[in-house]
Amino acid sequence: MRLDDTKVPKGRPAPRMANGKPDFSGYWKGTTQTSPGGNIGKDLPGWRLPLTSAGEAALKHNLTATVDPEAVCIIGGIPRHNASGLPFEVLQGNSKVVFMYWYSYFRLVPFTPGLKHSDDPDPAFFGEEIGRWEGDTLVIDSVGFKGEKVWIDENANPVSDAVHVVERWTRPDYNHIHVDMLIEDPKYYTRPFTYARTWALGEPDEQIQEYSCSENNVDAAHLGFGPGPIRPDGTRGYIDPAPLPPPVPRK
Amino acid sequence: MPTRVVLLVVLLCAAASSRAVAHHSFAAVFDASKAIRVTGTLAKVEWTNPHIYFYVDATDEKGTVVRWACESAAPGSLSRRGFKRSLLKIGETLIIDGYQAKNGANLMDARRVTLPDGQILSGASAGDGGPQ
Repeated sequence: MRLDDTKVPKGRPAPRMANGKPDFSGYWKGTTQTSPGGNIGKDLPGWRLPLTSAGEAALKHNLTATVDPEAVCIIGGIPRHNASGLPFEVLQGNSKVVFMYWYSYFRLVPFTPGLKHSDDPDPAFFGEEIGRWEGDTLVIDSVGFKGEKVWIDENANPVSDAVHVVERWTRPDYNHIHVDMLIEDPKYYTRPFTYARTWALGEPDEQIQEYSCSENNVDAAHLGFGPGPIRPDGTRGYIDPAPLPPPVPRK
Repeated sequence: MPTRVVLLVVLLCAAASSRAVAHHSFAAVFDASKAIRVTGTLAKVEWTNPHIYFYVDATDEKGTVVRWACESAAPGSLSRRGFKRSLLKIGETLIIDGYQAKNGANLMDARRVTLPDGQILSGASAGDGGPQ
């Protein structure tokens, strides 16, 4: 469910940890103000991504020769999860924070002072993530990503193993969490670009639940390549679907 | 307002507001131009992730019994909107309205399910970009 953010109360201060840092813990849900959903180009004019020629080729490949990796239970990773329509949950400690996603994925981000990237990190869907505090902002700097079987968003846009992602997370008030994300991928994009998004706090009884993606993935044998048609508004789906038959009159 | 219409409104509103756990976009699997109605006998239920499936045996225009796989949302989403596993009883006749798979398989997105007592359930995966 996406929330209408105009109806979400604002102004109550963000909770804080014992060490004074803001506490990002909570179950976070997308809002109807994030549009178009699932599109990493949301904040660019016409949602047009600055693709290199290699990026154009990679997009064509994704659309015509690959199925949605998440639909076959491959981790979406970052940046994709920040553009996802799915809620997520955060649990924060004193030296690390865990982001938990549907499909039983999680990422655990350390922010112990002095951490540095490895010389040759093992490729990962979330990359090698290092957190640090800049005031009340948690900065997550990530390199070392997978370059295969990943889409950068739900529209099948490409991302390479050269991507460098910098997320700046804040909790502007009790009911909101926000990220400003910088994406640099010189293989597939001619210049860095940004993606900003705010989520609203779910109800106290909402949380990530058991979800086994591969339990009975019948769809895997029926998936078409790419996400299907992209509408002019930047979302996925058909413009003019055929109507269903009228409901059956009750006897 | 008749009870059935009230129920339909309630269940469809619940579907629209339930948590979106779309495993893939509707358009990656289903064809929105192939709106179909399948009436058949419930043969099997798989109350599983990432989608539930129930299978109905329907007789086609040639008199042949064809088994349709009917896909709905994930168990948690359905349960919260009142679409419970216990509502599907083997051997009962169901009417399923939805969209057929793009590849022509006997697989459909069960967006509306009518039970023998006339109760209408929404099986749609909320947030999948499919017809609402």
